[in-house]
Order: sequence, then C-alpha cells, then structure tokens
Amino acid sequence: MSIINIYMIIIMLLSISSYFYGRNFIKNKTSTSTEKQHSKDTYHGAFISLYLILPSIIFLSLWIVISPNIIDELLTIKIIYIFGQLGIDELKILKSQVIALSNGVLIAGNLSEEVNYISDYYLYIQTVSKKIYIILSCLGSAAAFLYARKKITIRFNARFNVEVIVKSIMILASLIAILTTVGIILSLVVETIRFFEIINIADFLFGLKWSPQIALRADQVANEGLFGAVPLFAGTLMITVIAMVVAVPIGLMTAVYLSEYASNTLRSIAKPALEILAGIPTVVYGFFAALTVAPFLRDKGADIGLTLSSESALAAGLVMGIMIIPLISSLSDDVINAVPQSLREGSAALGSTKSETVKKVILPAALPGIVSAILLAVSRAIGETMIVVMAAGVAANLTANPFESVTAVTVQIVVLLVGDQEFDSAKTLAAFALGFTLFIITLGLNILSIYIIRKYREQYD
Amino acid sequence: MRENGKMKNDYKVKTENITVDYGEKRALHGINLNISSNEVTSLIGPSGCGKSTFIRCINRMNDLIDGCKVNGKILIDNEDINNQNMDVVELRAKVGMVFQKPNPFPKSIFDNVAYGPRIHGTVKNKEELENMVRKSLKRAGLWNEVHDRLDASGLSLSGGQQQRLCIARAIAVNPDILLMDEPCSALDPIATAVIEELINELKERYTIMIVTHSMQQAARLSQKTAYFHLGEMIEFGDTSSIFTNPKHEMTEAYISGKIG
Ligand SMILES: Nc1ncnc2c1ncn2[C@@H]1O[C@H](COP(=O)(O)OP(=O)(O)OP(=O)(O)O)[C@@H](O)[C@H]1O
Ligand SMILES: [Mg+2]
Repeated sequence: MSIINIYMIIIMLLSISSYFYGRNFIKNKTSTSTEKQHSKDTYHGAFISLYLILPSIIFLSLWIVISPNIIDELLTIKIIYIFGQLGIDELKILKSQVIALSNGVLIAGNLSEEVNYISDYYLYIQTVSKKIYIILSCLGSAAAFLYARKKITIRFNARFNVEVIVKSIMILASLIAILTTVGIILSLVVETIRFFEIINIADFLFGLKWSPQIALRADQVANEGLFGAVPLFAGTLMITVIAMVVAVPIGLMTAVYLSEYASNTLRSIAKPALEILAGIPTVVYGFFAALTVAPFLRDKGADIGLTLSSESALAAGLVMGIMIIPLISSLSDDVINAVPQSLREGSAALGSTKSETVKKVILPAALPGIVSAILLAVSRAIGETMIVVMAAGVAANLTANPFESVTAVTVQIVVLLVGDQEFDSAKTLAAFALGFTLFIITLGLNILSIYIIRKYREQYD
Repeated sequence: MRENGKMKNDYKVKTENITVDYGEKRALHGINLNISSNEVTSLIGPSGCGKSTFIRCINRMNDLIDGCKVNGKILIDNEDINNQNMDVVELRAKVGMVFQKPNPFPKSIFDNVAYGPRIHGTVKNKEELENMVRKSLKRAGLWNEVHDRLDASGLSLSGGQQQRLCIARAIAVNPDILLMDEPCSALDPIATAVIEELINELKERYTIMIVTHSMQQAARLSQKTAYFHLGEMIEFGDTSSIFTNPKHEMTEAYISGKIG
C-alpha cells in the first residue's frame, strides 16, 4: 500500500473523530453558558470534520494533476543532462525504459549503467513528491481544523456553513461530469477539424464511395472519393428504418395491451419478461442475427426466388427491432399509465369501447411521450454496433436493397480503429469525423424529444 | 320508451340488495332503491358513505376499478344490467354521468362536446354536429363564455367551466338517465343556478340522480331524497317529507347539521 493511501485513511479517521470532537466541544461550551445555542451539535461536528478533510482532498486532486508533469519535466532534464541532446524518439524510448525499470517490468541487468542511475533518480523524485504532498496537506488540514475550532461558538451558524460546503461539493461533482463531456466533445471537434484539413468536407459528406483502406499508402492519401460517408449513413438509415418498422408497432401495441387490457397477473409476468429482453447483451442479439436469422431469411428467400446475401440489412434490422421493442414498450407504458384514470372513465361513461378510448383519448394524450420514446429508440438504433457488425457486414455498399449487405457508421468506426495505425492518419481521423457526425445526429434527436416532452408536458395536471 | 302514465311500481331504475366491495372493504351494505322516470333523486350523506359508489353502479363504472365487486340486482327498464348479454357500451350511452371531479379530455372544447355524437354516429354531417355542440353548450350555460374560442383546449377553462363542459359533453349523447356526482361543488352561485335550471328542464325527459352536499340544493331540486350513512341507506322518500319530517334520527341529525 502506498504511503498516500495510508495518509488518506488516517485523514478520514481523523475527520470522523473530529466530528465527535466538534459535537462535544460545542456541548461543553453551551453547558457553561446561558446563551441559546444557534445550530444543533451535529452541525458543529460536521462543520469541523469537513474543514479537516477538505484541504487534503483538494491538494490530492491538484497533486494528481500537477505532479506527473513536474516529474516528467525533471526526468527529461536529467536525461538530457546525462546523454546530451537527443532526438524525440530516442528520448521517448529512454523514458519508457526508465519507467519500466522503476516499475519492475524490466530487469536492471539488461540495461546500461546510466539508465539504472536515472531510474533510481526517478523513484527518488516520486517519493519526494509524495512527501511534499503529505506535508502540505497535513499543514492545510491542521490549519483548517484549528480555524474551524476557533469559529465554533454558541451563536455560530454552523448549519448554514455546512450547507455552503455541501453545496460546493455538489457543484464540484456536477462540474466533473460536465467538464468530461465538454472535453470529449472538444476532442471530437478538434480531430474532426484535422480530418477535414486532409479530406474535403464535401467529399466526406457527399462522397459515394467509402474505402479508407487504400488511403493507408502514403501516395494515395486524400485520394478523392475514398472517404465518402454516404454509404455508411445510408446503411445506418436503412437498418434503423427496418428496426423501427418492427419495433414501433409491436412495442406500442404491447404497451397498450399491457396497460389497458391485460389482467394484473398477466402484466406481472409480461413486464419482467420484457425487461429480460432488454437485458440481453447486444452481442447475443448479434450472433442470433448472424447465425439464426440471416440464414433463415436466406433460405426462405431462396424458396420464393429472392437472393439474399448471407449478411443483410434485413437480418440486422429485424433483430435490432426486436432488441428495441422493450425500450419502446416500457417507455410508452409509462406515459400511457401517466394518463389519468379519470379520462378513461370519462370516455367510458360516454359509451365508448375500450379501443375507441385508446385511439381517441389515451394515445392522443400520451402522444408526446410516445414520440419522444420513439426518438430515443432511434438514437439507440443509430448508435448500435454489435448487431450490425455481425449481421449486416462491413462492406460499404451503397444500395437501397435490404437483402444486400450494408454497413453502418458505428461499424466503420470500429473497423477504422482496430489494428495498428498512426494516430495522425486520415483513416484514424475519419473515425472522429464519423463519431462527431453521429453525435450531432443523436444530439439533435434527443433535443427534439426533450423539446416535445416540454412542449406538451403541462397538458394534464 | 319514455311515455308517461306508468304504473306506480314500474320504476325506471330498480336496485335490489346492492353490495359493493373494494377488495376486502365493503363500501355498500345491501341497498334497495327504486327510482321513477322523470324525477330528480338526490343522494345525501356524509363524506365516504358510498354515494359515489352507488351511482357508479348504475352505469357499471365500477367495472373499471380493479378489485371492485358489485353484487345484487340492478334493473333499468326492467332489464338486468349485470346480465351477461348486456352491452355495457350501450348501457353507458343510455346512462350518462358527470363526475365529481371535472375530467375534460385534453382536446378542444368543441371536440370534447362532439366526442359522444361522433363515436355514436348520432349526427349525419358537420352542420348537425355543430348544432348539437352549440345546443349542448348553451344548455350547460357555457356557450356565452366559450363561443368565440371553441378551438381552445378544454383544459384551459377554469374548474367550474370545466365542470359545465363535462355536463355539456354528457348531455350531447342524449342519455335517458343522467347521473351527476356533485356537479355543482366547483361552481359559483350563478353557474349553480344555471345548472339547477338545466336539471329542472332535463327532468322533463330524463331521469336524474344527483349526489350533493348541499341540503338546500337537494330540497330545491329533487322530488325524492335518499340519505346514506356508512354504506347503508338509512332513509328514502319524498324530499318534502325527508326534510320536514325525517323518520330516522340520524337523518334528522344530518339535515340539521349535527353529523357530517
Ligand atoms: N377506488 C376505491 N378503492 C378503494 N376504496 C374506495 C374506492 N373508492 C371509494 N372507496 C371507499 O368506499 C367508501 C365510499 O366511497 P365513496 O366515494 O362512494 O363516498 P362518497 O359518499 O361519494 O363520499 P364523498 O362525499 O366524499 O364524495 C369510502 O370509504 C372509500 O374509502
Ligand atoms: Mg363522492
């Protein structure tokens, strides 16, 4: 266990005990005084305990971010000091040797004297950096503890102060989530821009031919037409449409049946069953599609004189539709159940049948929710990879024939990134461009569905 | 069907020994109540005594509640409505209902009122439908307030307006019997007067049952009054005699404001 871990455990224990310390501290103060205590004992305890632990935690996050850079810098200086000026590649190799050696991955005997020496140095500065961290946070925590202890008086508003600290912690937590998202999007955007420096954006968006492999050879980079994304988006679109044609009617009717017609017993069996369907890993659907559905379709197609390739958009779309049914049915079931019972009674009391009530009152009232459920399902279908890889293939055919093999955007991203390649090559960057485009599309769909929900939310309440 | 001069025992609605259970809980204990045509019958009693439960039996609305079980015999025009051959949809077209809480559909005012005529196909063309909607809204005393915004959502109306919309919606189907569950509880005195006038007018053609918490309203409107208490019908008779000369002490206590 590293010394940092030990330190953190100690600090936590101290923080817990300072909670009790703070409680007793204020109790003692109050017992000898006639004044009325402002906040409850527990708030004073929480106040002092939070003050004790916060500096250590803040320093820890700073240390995690900053110290590797400093250590790396020191290491570089040391290497240059010993070996003289080196090329970038040589420097990289030396560094990784040093680090591997100090982690015990390499064995010292195989390497030169100098590398061993630098490795020792590397370990040394790491230890020093840990020590610096511990000393600083000890000081910080101690100071904060003393400060908090001084603040605790009978009239001190500990309740409010704890509230402020808790609020800041929560803001911090949500900031982490937001910043991560922003970081991912930024890296997508930056790499996409770099891609468009190599490949014309119009060629990407409107090009009809996708074959990035050829571009690997240096003389053919940026050969026009190779990065035309239209076949991929067409493939994604076709598979998504097939999936929706399967999933929307079945899912919707399931939801209506379960919430309006089914008996309680049936509902208590069918709903968990559907949830199981939702829990099947997509890769299982994938081989179900590839090994069962696709051959079945091919054979049946052959019987009636249709030629289906063994990987087809139809097989992938059908299975993806089945995968999405539970999503649509459970989301729609929720919105249908949210339609107030009084509307059903009102409609029934006017002498309408159940199906008239469903058609004329319940579905219209639930429509916004259903539409947004469908949009969410579309996003899901667009982002799905496994089933398409396994059942629809990787060949970028531009075709409107669902019996042929097609490929999807997600699949091509995988294809682009597996195996070794230069990070800067157009091929790798193309993955970012595809990812970014996909992101824009699903983002648009999600915004649309949120907008629809908002717009019609206030309908009944 | 609706001719006058029926024999005295030829009631429009006859109920024999009605019991209703919500799961384990018994809400009505053997109610016997007979209702004549073209009369207003009011049901009074403290909150939770089973008035709503009772009138919801008459159009089998309790079928919609899981775990609610109705036993006993209910005859409308001498036909057992709990009979297997009974078409519930037709029954409910014949027995209209206005609910305790207004429940307009999230549709336009026009479409709310047109809902019944449309599903039953009682109107032949658009013009007839518009006439029907106008007539119903007028009778419910809502026309003046909404005639220039029939396309607005029924939910954009105030609570009292929504209740009158629901009344218009119910009478647009032209039922034989109208069940009204506290139709005026959300209304101001003016709107209440309009509805009471409507009820008086409707009783010429319809048979009406009304649940109310207002003694004055029961006394003003109804020919017969039934007093319910804790799931039992304590007393039933001519409104005038119930209010001036109640036979049961509980009825007297309730009417004079000692219970409920
Ligand atoms: N859906 C239901 N499920 C279970 N119990 C119910 C249900 N509806 C009514 N009850 C019970 O049945 C009894 C009678 O209720 P009901 O609604 O008929 O009273 P009410 O006379 O209409 O009262 P109020 O004047 O307050 O409207 C009450 O005890 C109530 O708790
Ligand atoms: Mg009631």
